[in-house]
Amino acid sequence: MTDEELAKDLGPLAALTIGIGTMIGAGIFVLPGAAVQQAGPLSAAAFVLGGVIALLTAMSASELGTAMPKSGGAYYYINHALGPLFGSVAGWGNWMGLAFASAFYMTGFGQYVVTFLPIPSLVLGGVTVSAVKLVALAGGLLFVFINYVGAKETGKLQNAIVLILLAILAVFTVFGLLNADLAKLRPFVPPDKGVSPLLPVTGLIFVSYLGFVQITSVAEEIKNPGKNLPRAVLGSVVIVTLVYALVLLTVLAAVDNSLVAGNETAVVDVARLLIGPVGAGAMLFGGLLATASSANASILASSRINFAMGRDRIVSTALNEIHPRFGTPYRSIAITGGFILLFILLADVNTLANAGSVLHLIIYGLLNVSLIVMRVSDPEDYQPDYRVPLYPFVPILGAITSFALIAFFANTIVLLAAGFVVFAMVWYAAYARTKATKQGILGKYLLQQSEQLPDAAVSAATSVQPDGGYRVMVPLSNPESERDLISLAGAVTKANDGTLVGVHIVKVPDQTALESAREEYDFAEADRLLEQARVDADELGVDMETHTVLSHRSFEEVFDAAETYNADLVVMGWGPDSHGSPGRAESAYEEITHALPYDVLVLKDRGFDPSHVLVPTAGGPDSDLSASIASVLREFCDAEIELLHVAEDRDVGERFLREWADERGLGDATLTVETGDVERAIESHATDASLLVVGATERGLLSRLVSGTVVMDVVDDVECSVLLAERSRSRSIRERLFG
Amino acid sequence: MTEHVEPLFSRPLLPLANTDDAEVTCATAFPRIAAAGGQASVVHVIEKAGGAPDKAGVEQREEVADELFDIARRAADDAGIELQTDLRFATDVGDAILEAAHEADATAIVFTPRGGRSWWDLFSGAVREELIRHSDRPVVVLPPADSDKGGET
Repeated sequence: MTDEELAKDLGPLAALTIGIGTMIGAGIFVLPGAAVQQAGPLSAAAFVLGGVIALLTAMSASELGTAMPKSGGAYYYINHALGPLFGSVAGWGNWMGLAFASAFYMTGFGQYVVTFLPIPSLVLGGVTVSAVKLVALAGGLLFVFINYVGAKETGKLQNAIVLILLAILAVFTVFGLLNADLAKLRPFVPPDKGVSPLLPVTGLIFVSYLGFVQITSVAEEIKNPGKNLPRAVLGSVVIVTLVYALVLLTVLAAVDNSLVAGNETAVVDVARLLIGPVGAGAMLFGGLLATASSANASILASSRINFAMGRDRIVSTALNEIHPRFGTPYRSIAITGGFILLFILLADVNTLANAGSVLHLIIYGLLNVSLIVMRVSDPEDYQPDYRVPLYPFVPILGAITSFALIAFFANTIVLLAAGFVVFAMVWYAAYARTKATKQGILGKYLLQQSEQLPDAAVSAATSVQPDGGYRVMVPLSNPESERDLISLAGAVTKANDGTLVGVHIVKVPDQTALESAREEYDFAEADRLLEQARVDADELGVDMETHTVLSHRSFEEVFDAAETYNADLVVMGWGPDSHGSPGRAESAYEEITHALPYDVLVLKDRGFDPSHVLVPTAGGPDSDLSASIASVLREFCDAEIELLHVAEDRDVGERFLREWADERGLGDATLTVETGDVERAIESHATDASLLVVGATERGLLSRLVSGTVVMDVVDDVECSVLLAERSRSRSIRERLFG
Repeated sequence: MTEHVEPLFSRPLLPLANTDDAEVTCATAFPRIAAAGGQASVVHVIEKAGGAPDKAGVEQREEVADELFDIARRAADDAGIELQTDLRFATDVGDAILEAAHEADATAIVFTPRGGRSWWDLFSGAVREELIRHSDRPVVVLPPADSDKGGET
């Protein structure tokens, strides 16, 4: 077996039981009392409606899960598709939603325990903590502790628990059917209220359908996720919906409504009536197992979501430290546990259920929107094995029903949800925006379509992009030019108080899988190169992070890496050996360079010496970048700047250059105006210069490296180093360099 | 058949449990391996639940593995020895280490103690016991280089 097969050891049954185990507790053991009180037999319809809404979203979750089987599940998909702003909402929502749900399950657990253990309430300084809450707190502590020390056996226990539960419920249903009297189901709809309680009750019981999305949080561990993930996700929703509806219908057909309505442990009393003490005992046992397994699975899932959030820098990575002995993400579990205990103390069982439901409904809505975004933008690496049927109707209906159901909650709950979304957005703006490194597919898509879309949409997309500070990326491959590139990139980084990102791209032959290359490749050389770069950056006093990227491509990978690491500026060397020969990659990057979202500097390195910098200009946006670079070099490398303008008329030329220089803060540079042939003028002045900075005057500097235009002849003819500058096409240079 | 006995430190296997363990074990063992002119293999085992969700996500555990292999690589560079790294996934950590030792044809399994027996070994299973009882090759327990601070992590 390969390592990958060993790492993915969750079979289809185990995946299914995560979903069923999380869901089956609440719906039948805790909620029938409250639901029947409000809606009578109609509450069975509410369970079916909840199941249908869940199923719509489950389809979207399945497709996203098979396309991206990643740790973190729903959070990961939303962050990936919609960007870190919505990622923050989804991450916090999923995390706190699970904490609310766990607190709810534990309170249900408490209700079951107090039916057979006489536990007194506790009065502490005038505040009474009920017996149910005491048990809930103790139970919460127990499950947090189990997850904190991480006994791997608890996971296997989950499978057994689910099977036992289904067996108990099956026996119960058979007894119910034997005693069923359809007349008791009438009136199906409460005569005094009509169908109006249907949606509010659906909202109340929706906490019963939170489990399926937890399957996706461990998607990376599922064997053959393309097949097994959709089976587990859809299967668990269908099975649980059927169980809920069947059990509730038989209960209501077998006994009087009044026995169930408002009864916290209704199924136990029904079982006592139908089967006797053994039945009651079995149902009691089932209730304990069900609430415990739901809470346990939720705590486990929340640590996966924390990990994924930390990886995207939405929360601190310190949260994700693995315990040296237990091998568990203990901090994340401890903090989640703290929230669970707090919620148990603060809220009653219905509020906990509602809060858990509402936060998950927000996530489900966003999940459906994410699916639509992924389908519309259709990125190359989006290859789901399972596809939602009847697209786009199913995800649109899923999004609408999920969001719309929120409206049927009590006002306080809706306010809580709104406040929560605002909190997550403020969190993003205040904390995560400067740290988050990942840009969403939606943002990229909007920026790419910027010419067709209304300005408002584009500027909205731009303003919520993570900025992560000013980031300068340097692809390093050649030890000889490493120092020069770092000096140049370091100066710009320093000028912008930014971060330098050193990337070493290792070209792996096509026939070698990247995974096996990761294990076999000797990184010593790459490490040395990056280590030297770090030392050089350190000398300049610049923060630097380094990455080694394995790729089947080399030159094109630079552009992907620039996006991945969210570069504002890419500084690259150019020579026969740099990043593969540019001359051979023309077709591939011609296309890429049409819409560069970052500035690019290409250094033809003949020794980096910024003592005398020559900047020819004819105006235009790319020479703005040259001017900015010249200012940086003057400030940080004591460069002497010479500006050169070639005009037809000397007087007009001098006026232009004077004005141009003043506007760009280069008024004290040496100004030279020439007439005649541009190329010859540049070449003759370059003989005295140590560095020539040339702005691309039209789109596609990198393409022109290949095609050999005027600029290219200059580059070859002069003896000094040449720096070619091309500015990004999406933001103004001033905003980017001096922002 | 005692024609040739290889020195213990010519090709030992070092199981690394966590970053602190990696620091201590590498700092203690690598100079000895260098002195014996040997080469080292380090193994880290990611414990799998075997058909149930794991205690922590696989990606999360792989990040830890990367970190401790980095520590080992730096230490090996400093000591001037060759290093092989081996990442394994297994439900039984002790078995996986023995298997790794077998496949690498290790001359010994070398580790530093990580504190005394604790009650939670009841939960986690004592890897050390497994190694000492079932190994078909020498098991060397090295006192940490700085034994004042060694031990409990």
